[in-house]
Amino acid sequence: MVDLAVNIAGVRLPNPTVVASGILGVSASSAGLAVAHGAGAVTLKSCGPEPRTGHRGPTIVPVPGGLLNAVGLSNPGAAAVCDEIRTFKDRYDVPLIASIFGRTEAEFAAVGEVISEASPDLLEINVSCPNVASEFGTPFGLDREATGRITRLVKEVAGEIPVLVKLSPQAHNLGSLASHCQESGADGITAINSLGPGMAIDVYTRRPVLSNEVGGLSGRAILPVAVRAVHEIARNVTIPIIGTGGIATTEDALQMILAGATAVGIGTGVHSRGIDIFDEIGEGIAAYLEEGGFSCLDEIRGAIHAD
Amino acid sequence: MQTEMKTWAVADVTRHADDILTLRVLDVPPANPGQFFLVWLPGVDEKPISVSNQSESGTELTICGVGEWSRAMMTVVPGDRIGLRGPFGNGFTLTDNSLLVGGGMGIAPLRYLAHRLMEEGRTFDMALGARSATGLIFAGEFGRWGARFATDDGTMGDTGTVTDVIRDMVDLRAYDSLYACGPEAMLVAVKVVADDHNLPFQFAVERLMKCGIGLCGHCSLDGSGIRLCVEGPVLDRKMVEATTEFGLPHRDASGRRRS
Repeated sequence: MVDLAVNIAGVRLPNPTVVASGILGVSASSAGLAVAHGAGAVTLKSCGPEPRTGHRGPTIVPVPGGLLNAVGLSNPGAAAVCDEIRTFKDRYDVPLIASIFGRTEAEFAAVGEVISEASPDLLEINVSCPNVASEFGTPFGLDREATGRITRLVKEVAGEIPVLVKLSPQAHNLGSLASHCQESGADGITAINSLGPGMAIDVYTRRPVLSNEVGGLSGRAILPVAVRAVHEIARNVTIPIIGTGGIATTEDALQMILAGATAVGIGTGVHSRGIDIFDEIGEGIAAYLEEGGFSCLDEIRGAIHAD
Repeated sequence: MQTEMKTWAVADVTRHADDILTLRVLDVPPANPGQFFLVWLPGVDEKPISVSNQSESGTELTICGVGEWSRAMMTVVPGDRIGLRGPFGNGFTLTDNSLLVGGGMGIAPLRYLAHRLMEEGRTFDMALGARSATGLIFAGEFGRWGARFATDDGTMGDTGTVTDVIRDMVDLRAYDSLYACGPEAMLVAVKVVADDHNLPFQFAVERLMKCGIGLCGHCSLDGSGIRLCVEGPVLDRKMVEATTEFGLPHRDASGRRRS
């Protein structure tokens, strides 16, 4: 009998599929839709201290190989997100990951403190959103020292709640950055955020398609970058990794796990494959383990390191 | 279906009132009644708009100027380019012997539905309402089909709401199904009438959509979680009763529930 359960910093996921932040994570009910379709954990959309309406449309557009998005961190504010976290935890029994962002290092700590009161199972620090640079400046996640400081600040307010740091593949020396996150107290790493930013232009109106002009690239095109990033991080840390970026099939998810991921984040795949993607990948991984004579994912995780 | 962004030149514009117009665009992918396109006005915003008719002579989109984007749409003239993606959403399931109930701009998607029901030889009646005669879009067309009208100010048809009209219809039990689109308060009232008569219904419902393609979760209904842009916007009785927010204030652009 195959066991799909995985453990992230002491939190048990019934299967390794995780709804990535920004996908179906506005409310307890929207996240619940993914749970009903087999997700092993859900990440809520990143929240800050105050409500934000985000960018005007178009915010998410398909491009060859994936999606370009600049939603602009729309969120109802940490206090309202706490209500959604409590509702979710009352209704569903899969783990919930709350995601936070801040304009300043202190704001990360302030938002982390508010959100921790609602007791999410895990807390994810989004230091790598590529879509708000014009307003927020260069993402903190590209700066090793700032990322370490934010990790320590959030750890101080999170209490017993394990903290994940979501990294950009564009950080210089990603393995060393991840290792620095671990040294700063991180309990896990989520990698990767969307790539870029990129731009798509309508040639007839000669305008960028996204209202924000530029946005993060996600989807199949970034899968190899994400697999490489997870592999690089896994060689440098002992904490668990949620491998995210371009996963659309069972084989994509298995690549992440073989590269060293404990769980797999799914986002754009909800668009390309539909909401059934969580069930499909869960079943696909189970079949792969069974055929290979394995009983659980621990037996194949990071297996490409073997030679 | 058009998934990536593509822009089309507007073929012509019909003005119904100062703040209501219909755009016609040629060679747009086929849609079912109740489905919508994401309509991009370059430099302004992108919003979901349901199809008010589609035939060999083009695809029609009827828009009322109420917000920044829709007021800017009132300035569109033939030849201007707009972006269209879609069609998205589930759309109506076509049935026989039905009653179509429309209020205000909710009349627009029912128009395409009526045309398709007519083409398929399915019988139907219509009851349409608006605040006043100028808001009763396509009234000439519907009048020829025997639609009953109601206006709040009595400038066309009965004085009152369209729900009053159907409530007074003695032969409501004779219908096999009901379609409705309009303000949610109207849908709540129509549901009471439909429930009284045990009439199956399909309501086209509106919510603020951000991505429009099923990813962000912004238009997920509380309770069921179903995405109005994918599993909706047309809801049957089971879907309406599975949500806890029918008739209540919706989420704003930040995702906060209005109170």
